[in-house]
Amino acid sequence: MTRPASAHRLRRLGTPLAIVAGTVLMAGCAKNETQSIFTPKGDNARKINDLQRFPMVAACVVGVVVFALLGFAVYKFKDRGQPIPGQGHGNSMIEIGTVVVSAVLLGVIAVPTTQTIFKLAKTNDCKTVVNVTGQRWWWEYSYPVQAGIPKPIVTSGELVIPTGQCVLLRVMSRDVIHSYWIPALNGKKDAVPGRVQPLRLEADHPGIYDGQCTEFCGLSHANMKMEAVALDAADFATWVTKQTTDAAPTAAKVDTSMDKAAADGFTTFSQCSRCHQVSGRVDADGNPVIARADQNLVPGAAPNLTHLMSRSTFAGATFDLLTPDCRANLRTASPEAFGALYLKGVTPECLNRDTLEAWLRDPVALKPMMPAATGLGQGMPNLKLSENAIDQLIAYLETLK
Amino acid sequence: MAIIERPIATPALARAGGITTPVGPKQALGVFRRPVSSNGWRSWFFTVDHKQLGIMYGVVSLTFFVVGGLEALLIRLQLAQPNGKILSADLYNQMFTMHATTMIFLFVMPMAAAFANYLVPLQIGARDVAFPRLNAFGFWCFLAGGVFLNTSWVFGGAAQGGWFMYAPNSSRLFSPGHGVDFWAFGLQVTGIASLTGAINLIVTILNMRAPGMKMMKMPIFTWMVLITQFLLLFAIPVITVALFLLSFQRTFGATFFDVRAGADPLLWQHLFWIFGHPEVYILVLPSFGIVSEVLPVFARKPLFGYPLVVFSGAAIGFVGWGVWAHHMFASGLGPVSVAVFSFSTMAIAIPTGVKIINWLMTLWGGKLRFTTAMLFATGLIFEFTIGGLSGVTHAVAPSDTQQTDTYYIVAHFHYVLFGGAVFGLFAGFYYWWPKAFGTMLNETLGKINFWLMVIGMNLTFGPMHILGLQGQPRRMYRYDTSRVGSGFFNLTFWNLVATIGSFILAVGVLFFIINIFYTYKRRQLAKAPLDPWDARSVEWMTSSPPKAHNFDVIPTITNLDEFFHRKYAADAETGELRPVATAEELMAIQEANADKNIHLPGPSYWPIILAIGLPIIGYGIIFSHILIAIGATVIFFAIFGWSMEPSVPDPSDYDPPSGNDGGGTKELATVG
Repeated sequence: MTRPASAHRLRRLGTPLAIVAGTVLMAGCAKNETQSIFTPKGDNARKINDLQRFPMVAACVVGVVVFALLGFAVYKFKDRGQPIPGQGHGNSMIEIGTVVVSAVLLGVIAVPTTQTIFKLAKTNDCKTVVNVTGQRWWWEYSYPVQAGIPKPIVTSGELVIPTGQCVLLRVMSRDVIHSYWIPALNGKKDAVPGRVQPLRLEADHPGIYDGQCTEFCGLSHANMKMEAVALDAADFATWVTKQTTDAAPTAAKVDTSMDKAAADGFTTFSQCSRCHQVSGRVDADGNPVIARADQNLVPGAAPNLTHLMSRSTFAGATFDLLTPDCRANLRTASPEAFGALYLKGVTPECLNRDTLEAWLRDPVALKPMMPAATGLGQGMPNLKLSENAIDQLIAYLETLK
Repeated sequence: MAIIERPIATPALARAGGITTPVGPKQALGVFRRPVSSNGWRSWFFTVDHKQLGIMYGVVSLTFFVVGGLEALLIRLQLAQPNGKILSADLYNQMFTMHATTMIFLFVMPMAAAFANYLVPLQIGARDVAFPRLNAFGFWCFLAGGVFLNTSWVFGGAAQGGWFMYAPNSSRLFSPGHGVDFWAFGLQVTGIASLTGAINLIVTILNMRAPGMKMMKMPIFTWMVLITQFLLLFAIPVITVALFLLSFQRTFGATFFDVRAGADPLLWQHLFWIFGHPEVYILVLPSFGIVSEVLPVFARKPLFGYPLVVFSGAAIGFVGWGVWAHHMFASGLGPVSVAVFSFSTMAIAIPTGVKIINWLMTLWGGKLRFTTAMLFATGLIFEFTIGGLSGVTHAVAPSDTQQTDTYYIVAHFHYVLFGGAVFGLFAGFYYWWPKAFGTMLNETLGKINFWLMVIGMNLTFGPMHILGLQGQPRRMYRYDTSRVGSGFFNLTFWNLVATIGSFILAVGVLFFIINIFYTYKRRQLAKAPLDPWDARSVEWMTSSPPKAHNFDVIPTITNLDEFFHRKYAADAETGELRPVATAEELMAIQEANADKNIHLPGPSYWPIILAIGLPIIGYGIIFSHILIAIGATVIFFAIFGWSMEPSVPDPSDYDPPSGNDGGGTKELATVG
């Protein structure tokens, strides 16, 4: 009926084969794809990468063999007027052989798989512990008191960890299921409400490692990003010291060093502190201002802003707090220079003022959220702030070093 | 045991030897006459004929294929560039949820049901399925559920929780609006279709095979359908329970997945995937069956290792129940469970690999004719192998924690489901089109169809391997320029390639639709011969399209590939195969000896009425409790009418009444 020209065969084999083989064999050479799973930057991810290489290569080899046989059969046995072949029903040797060969191959893969599963499930060798809590659509990082961390730290946007040691994340969720994933440091772990799930991370060198929430968590799932920042031991200690200090000023009226705009922003922020904790703020009676669980929100907390200007992102790592230039500088900094640059925080000339203003003007326009959902709202509402109030708030936020 | 409008006149047998109907439909309800038309538009609404129902399943699921395809194109348009602006976040989330739901529940499953319905009775030499009215009810449930589900678009937006609808994101608090309610109830209704269809086909296959057709002489497609129906029989109840829990949680404030009330949301994941993983095999096994029919015909050789293909199908069916948690490797099951499910997932690769080798060996040494059907079947071997091999790389649980929920998975299951299930269905379209419609689909258009689909699918889903391995997660309505990278594997470029590929793929599918219309227009010229492919199995031993009663004489089976062995015999001296009879000659013998008294059940109003009641209840649950009462009334009325309606029409129901002429029996009708 038709002539399956050899060109057909080549086309059929060519494109996809090249894609598959190319993907698997060359994907390791990619550069700057920050979430590539072939560029481990720490022990756990490296274990996975070592494990995945053999099955991937084996799969390619098996694929090539099957396609070669298929291509050969298609070419060799096409109808050229040969007689009708014998009606034999099979060949036990080939049938048994297929089963045995594939079973052996899979057995070879199964052994290291099991070893790695158990290695990655270990938790008792980790020195630092961080509680990681997912919430629509950001992550909160809280550091319980432990060796080297004298006071609890609560932050968001960036998970800051010391290099060269196992850090144990206790992954949790306040609402729906999220998943914590920093590809360069380890595989994923779901944040399941009601459970505390361990995840080991370890980074070899100082730097920023990108991640993304990978369990669909509703409207703004795509914007639920994360960054892990690794600092060497000394820099991490400095960071801890900074974070454990309360924000100054505690109350605007007692801080005379504040400029007018920032002082006004301090007052305006009283509304914001309904959801956003800034440690060190006190009310008129001198009591600490606590962002209380609010019945109109799920579940009543928003990112802690105590040291906002020590971070390079805001709104749940969705937006850069740094201007593109400053961000590029930080990201391309050498491992040696990175720590010092990161610890400088957001300097006034590096502040990504435009985005921050736009965010305060109308957060929902920048990041889809459901602040007015029936029942309980989720996400920051449009507070209809005046331009003046926005300027004042930013002036105040800039003091939160 | 299917419909025929008028009992064949056999006065001698009438009444005396025939079954007596205990109560006629008129006596039952007084007003309704049984529908009698066998042609015209009315017949399509009240038919219980498995062939008509099969075609209806096909038409409706093809329509949903187009709907799901358009949703896919919108998704790809949105992702063609970083920060796509075609769809809002909310609409995008609805789109991918409905794309998957539509393709799985409203295209591949019912399309497989279309083939099963049409072909299984023909392949086993039966005159219809065991429960013809139940069969009609199944179809109308599928249509009612599918339409109901899609009306959510106009009633405030579709579901947006993904086809897996994980709790607690699916609860009213986190998914306000009615999308999830529509989704849960719509799938519940289509589930009824699957469950009744499964029971029907299992009973049919086990009880109604032609004389001599032992289980191991059954055509391989029927075997795969049988295994699929057992999977459905056990899987659908699980999702039914899960969907009820979800509906109760959303509608009545139950707390099955509510953490604040002490529940564990992983319960939903276990329930969903205990259904969801067998579901994968439910989708793909019928296509394996189709390919296992098509390859031997065009290779002119029997299926290599038929028993092994049967048993590997059954093995997949069994082991398929023990791998569900591989969808949950990142959810914190603990290392022991993860290791166990990792092993079982690797184990299921063995029977799957066996099938591929069997197909390859079927081609080996054959006399291959590359018709469009054969091209799709060969294409399936190629594409499915890629999907199967990437599947093995996910079985390695630690690697899977890197791969899961990235585009690498999207690539994998599209190679399996598009390259596997859908290619198989297309092979089936081209192969059995002449059987169902008596016309040949155009081969030139068919080849354009095939090549565009092959190129399109590899351009669409091939790059997704790269995207996933470079860390692009799924279900993101936008991706950032800051994370696309800049090397050869940058996400922007490969996303664009995938989008272009998806449009090529869509054009390929469009050629199939063009081919249908073209063939219909030239139906006089494109008349199919009795045996266009020199086929091997029993369904070709009758006219195309088959008569209402399928076979004039139920064939007695002595061989696997019975038809082939009636046409060819080995030469006594040389051992070479020689034609001994043509299809036409075999047909003539049948017609000369046609059974005189063929007895088929009559059409019925009740299946469609009963099915219409279900979505009314669905709307009632969502919008107004009065509708629930109306829907329930319709359902009870229909059940009453159905149960009072004998499976065999009373002769006086015919128009004109056939009086004492009718009612000759050849077989006992089951109550369907």
